[in-house]
Amino acid sequence: MSNVLRPYLAAVRSTLTAALTLENFPSQVGGCSSSPSVNSIRVSIKIKQADEIERILCHKFTRFLMQRAESFIVLRRKPIKGYDISFLITNTHTESMLKHKIVDFIIQFMEDVDREISEMKLSLNARARTVAESYLTAVSLGIGYRVVTRLKCILWSYSAFAPA
Amino acid sequence: MAAPEVFNVSQSPITSHAFNADRTRQFSMRSDQLMRWFLILFRTFALEVAVSLNTNEVQLFSRSGLDWTPTETLSEHDKIVTSIDWAPNSNRIVTASQDRNAYVWQQASDPLTGRVVWKPTLVLLRINRAATFVRWSPFEDKFAVASGARAIAVCSFDPDNNWWIAKQLKKPIRSTVLSVDWHPNNVLLAAGSADMKARVFSAYIKDVDKRPPPSVWGEKLPFNTVCGEYSSPSGGWVHSVGFSPSGDVLAFASHDSTVSVVYPGGPAIYTIRSNSLPYVSLTWTSEDSIVAAGHDCQPVLLTGGPSGWQAVGSLDDTTAPKSSVGGRGGPTGSSPVGRLNSAAFNTFRNADSRGLGSSPGGGTPLATDTELFTVHQNTITDIRAYEGAPDAVSRVSTSGVDGKLVIWNVSAVSGLGTKLKALRVG
Repeated sequence: MSNVLRPYLAAVRSTLTAALTLENFPSQVGGCSSSPSVNSIRVSIKIKQADEIERILCHKFTRFLMQRAESFIVLRRKPIKGYDISFLITNTHTESMLKHKIVDFIIQFMEDVDREISEMKLSLNARARTVAESYLTAVSLGIGYRVVTRLKCILWSYSAFAPA
Repeated sequence: MAAPEVFNVSQSPITSHAFNADRTRQFSMRSDQLMRWFLILFRTFALEVAVSLNTNEVQLFSRSGLDWTPTETLSEHDKIVTSIDWAPNSNRIVTASQDRNAYVWQQASDPLTGRVVWKPTLVLLRINRAATFVRWSPFEDKFAVASGARAIAVCSFDPDNNWWIAKQLKKPIRSTVLSVDWHPNNVLLAAGSADMKARVFSAYIKDVDKRPPPSVWGEKLPFNTVCGEYSSPSGGWVHSVGFSPSGDVLAFASHDSTVSVVYPGGPAIYTIRSNSLPYVSLTWTSEDSIVAAGHDCQPVLLTGGPSGWQAVGSLDDTTAPKSSVGGRGGPTGSSPVGRLNSAAFNTFRNADSRGLGSSPGGGTPLATDTELFTVHQNTITDIRAYEGAPDAVSRVSTSGVDGKLVIWNVSAVSGLGTKLKALRVG
């Protein structure tokens, strides 16, 4: 996984570093009465969703994070349409925090989300298998081996979608 | 290589800074050294700096020994003070702020207590957007305020009403003006703006100025004459402009990571492209050298002449960590890797999973996990000549978003080759 991600993350890192050249820009649009607009960049991420399980996991996981958006400071509560999660880094953030650490945070975040979802997927599958096995050992008495195996397969794929 | 003087002035960002007297002009000669000591003895002179700490107040610091102690706070503005300039000879401070105002501060004795305090004088700017930048003219009888109202207010004193009145330069400006710089003849004004152009205007005011002698920029110069208009090479905001000490050459830095040097007589424009982040501030240190600084956190020296320009190197020695924080385990150091948590393992893991430190695409080198190799840990907001005559500046000062004020030796340049390469963006 890492070797696949490496050039991608390096590209993201370079782009973010270059894009995070924000400054306090008093807008000529905002004017004096309304609050001035802020100089900012938005980073929106679409997380890889290869199958239905990943789609569900990703949805739940990003929702969990976005409900706690305040603790992440740069995270937004709602993603941009078409994306899963969205960050907004304003010039205030680059002033109060070290710029290269913000970049680090986003990269770390992307890496962690990816890993977290693959781990959850694995443990979900493992759990589904255990459930299926214990269920089938209960009902399989008297049924032939072939049938059991086929049933196992069917149940396994069903229970993968069932809420754990 | 002489190390730069580093002062941690504040925790918050420094938006702008200005020192009080141009020490060089006054104290460059031997006899003046005596005068300086005399003045220090009698407490009539102290090295002071005015900084805007990203708030609506201006903080004055005075040098005591090796440190800066806060002395006075100038509070009259309502919003962030964007720029400060301190007139060396007349000892007046002018401040510009996002509240659309500028004030001229002068020392006067308080009628009640008898203490000497800084008193503000109102400036009638007549702008309806934030003031972004301010500079005194060389003769200190005018100043120019750049603003988001697509205008530059050229202010002169009106003794009848005891305030400063403005005449506005408006014509071809199509966006916020981000910086201005005065020509040594007190009449011409360079401006860089967010419409991606640097321009040279005449800011001739009849009652104040004498007719300027003809220069490379033109002969007849009524107010608002546009003497030159130059686009940034790849279309970036022009962050900073500067006339050379003679005034015959113009340099500007823009957000496309370039510095352009304009010879109007030429007509030649030299563009120095950097492979690092854009510069936001520049200052000439002699007729053939410029120091520029900005988002890549280190001041870079550029040299050249009518035949061409190139980047020479950084004033910062980026080969070694700056503070001796060594072994800062910190929150990331204690990551749950367990028995494999060795330095080598971490290096490989970072390179592998976070795109960190791999030579072609690597970012800025990190000393510890949290520290950059540069002195400034965040964007440099302002760079100014600190010591030396205008055409032979020996030291420059920078202030940064990290709250640091640093004084650099211009002669201490470390080679460009490897060190800048390590800092490239991608």
